[in-house]
Amino acid sequence: MLDGIFADLDAAYIVSIVLVSLYVSTAAVAISTAISLPTAVVLGFTDFPGKGLVTSVISTGMGFPSVVVGLVVLLLLSNSGPLGSFDLLFTPEAMIASQTVLATPVILSVSLSAVEGVGQELRDAAFAAGGTATDVSLLVLREARYGIVTAILAGYGRAISEVGSVLIVGGNIALTAPDGGRVSFTQTLTTAITIEARKGNFETGIALGVVLVALALAVNVLGARFRDGGRGAA
Amino acid sequence: MRLVADGLSHGFDGVAVLDGVSLAVEPGEVLAVVGPSGTGKTTLLRLLALFSPPDAGTVATDAGDAWALSADERLAVRRRIGLVSQHRDLFSASVARNVSYGLHVRRSWGERVRASASRALGRDRVPDRVSDALASVGLADKADRNASSLSAGEAQRVGVARALAFDPDALLFDEPTSNLDPRNTAVIEGAVREARDRGIAVALATHDMHQAERVSDRTAVLLDGECIEYGPTERVFDSPGDERARKFIDGELVY
Repeated sequence: MLDGIFADLDAAYIVSIVLVSLYVSTAAVAISTAISLPTAVVLGFTDFPGKGLVTSVISTGMGFPSVVVGLVVLLLLSNSGPLGSFDLLFTPEAMIASQTVLATPVILSVSLSAVEGVGQELRDAAFAAGGTATDVSLLVLREARYGIVTAILAGYGRAISEVGSVLIVGGNIALTAPDGGRVSFTQTLTTAITIEARKGNFETGIALGVVLVALALAVNVLGARFRDGGRGAA
Repeated sequence: MRLVADGLSHGFDGVAVLDGVSLAVEPGEVLAVVGPSGTGKTTLLRLLALFSPPDAGTVATDAGDAWALSADERLAVRRRIGLVSQHRDLFSASVARNVSYGLHVRRSWGERVRASASRALGRDRVPDRVSDALASVGLADKADRNASSLSAGEAQRVGVARALAFDPDALLFDEPTSNLDPRNTAVIEGAVREARDRGIAVALATHDMHQAERVSDRTAVLLDGECIEYGPTERVFDSPGDERARKFIDGELVY
């Protein structure tokens, strides 16, 4: 029966969607991680007035509506916006920008609590053994590694399954390939599902949904394994 | 290396912890810093290890006042001083990686990259230093164990090995045996004596009077952040000049 349903799937089209999704989410998570880890180390070990407010804002960001982020990035990147001259609107790079904004609070706040969980006595030990501030920070990241991997995977989960912002800034565009078939330009798994479902192409939608669920599941299973690893080594 | 505290005063949140303490940790000697809990022993050792500048007074080595040096010069001085804390503070890694940490951070980044390659090829020389340090605390066979699997006594001995591995000129022990059984205590006291015999300047904070008498050459008695007695251990124990020091040594002063 399944053979009948999926008989006329356009495999090349589906693969192109998966690749765009992976490219956008992976790039966004990489940028978010590069921003979040140093920030977590600095925030984790310095006290300043208003620190509580800063961490509250970061936590709030975890649940920030993605359509609002998409709208803000759209305004920034539109022709009349401050970043309009970069001509990024409706490109995969625009989607990377909005997903970076969405993934950063998740990665930052989970890695912040992991970093804060590294005891003062370990930082003192690294310092006493001759470590510089950089050495101590690297040691802290190493000690918090399970929590940090969990944070990165949580950010990946948020990015890959998000619809609102990539729909707004990416435009859900498919191009026509030389052979007449379709190829994704700014279509991700999630945005493609919305359009295929609306057009009544349920078999393509289901195929994309299966891939998306498989990816999300893989990310979560990996995350659980790292959490268990963290407990096992503690 | 001589480590000299001159008029050290320090406090936290406006509460004075140390008040004008002057003493010297001499090469080839063990200085016992004794006193009841909460009297500033840990603060004194952390200042001597250059964790932070004192509120007043100086910490000097043969390179002069440590806090008058440039940051790079001070790092070089700091890297000649080891500190063993009373807390369990091993990194979640193998025993060998814990012990080699001080050697690792002393390498330049270029050296670290080359060392990683050498380690992968089994050509790194660090393992010799690590096994020597572990042997001096009787744990030569535990190098590959995960640090989290060690008993409290073994963990403390690894902490000592971690400080010995980078061959310090001064070594500070902060109540290293306060939670240990007699056997582990004996091993650590042996390491203290061995360090002294190698010419290292050793300071040992302890509230165990018998331990101070067993291992130290000189003793400083701290009370409420003040150094009330300071001199050769025999003299301090046999005929303390300060009445409060005499009472503390005789176990009369109750806190």
